[in-house]
Amino acid sequence: MGVENRGGAASYNYSRFDDYVAGGGDLADEAAFRASPRAGEPAGDFTLLRLGDGAQVRLSELWQTRPLVMEFGSFT
Amino acid sequence: MYTREAHPGENVPGHDSFGRKLAGARLLREETGICRDILVDDLAGTVHRAYGLMPNMTWVIDRGGQVAYKANWTSAANVEAFLARFLAARSQHPAGAAAVMYETEQIEFRHTDRTRFAEHLLRNGPRAAVEFERARELWARRAAT
Repeated sequence: MGVENRGGAASYNYSRFDDYVAGGGDLADEAAFRASPRAGEPAGDFTLLRLGDGAQVRLSELWQTRPLVMEFGSFT
Repeated sequence: MYTREAHPGENVPGHDSFGRKLAGARLLREETGICRDILVDDLAGTVHRAYGLMPNMTWVIDRGGQVAYKANWTSAANVEAFLARFLAARSQHPAGAAAVMYETEQIEFRHTDRTRFAEHLLRNGPRAAVEFERARELWARRAAT
C-alpha cells in the first residue's frame, strides 16, 4: 500500500467525529451519496471479503439471479 | 456491508489496520446478532466511497446490476414496502398492459430514540458522547448562518 493510499485510509477512518464534522466531512459524504449511481443506472461491482467464511465474494455474483439488498453500517 | 466506525470512542476505536476493521465487523456481528452475510470493505473504504459514504444506507440492486432503490438512511419498513411493490409490479400486470419503468425521489422521516442513541455513544466510550455533543453544536451553528 502506497503513502497516498495510507493517507486516504487515515482520513476515511477518522478517529474523532466532531473534528470530522468541523472539517465538513459529513457534508462531503452527503454530496458523495448524491453523486453515486442513480436508480436505473448500473451499480458498482466490487470483490469483498465475507466475514463468515473468509471467501472473496463479487457483488455481481450476489445480484446475478435475484435482487440484492445491501445495508451499510458499523458497530458505532 | 461493514464500513468505518461512525462514532468511535475509547472502547471501539476507529480503524488503523485491516485487522482492527475485521475485529470491528466481528463485534458488530456478535453484539447485534446479525444473521445476514456481512461483507467487509477494504481499509480505504473503496466500496463505501463508490456507493456514497453515508453511515447507514440501504441499496437494492436488481438482478443484472441495475440500481433499483437507494436510501441515505435505512428503514427496514421502507425497504420491505419497496421490495413488495417493485417485485409485484414487475412480475404481475393487467392483461394488455406493459410494465413501464419510472423513477421517484422522495423525502422520508425517521424517528430516533435519543436515550438509546446516547446509551450507544457511552458504550462506544465517553469521548464518543462528548464528540457528538460538540458536533450538534457545530450543526446548530451551521444552521444559523
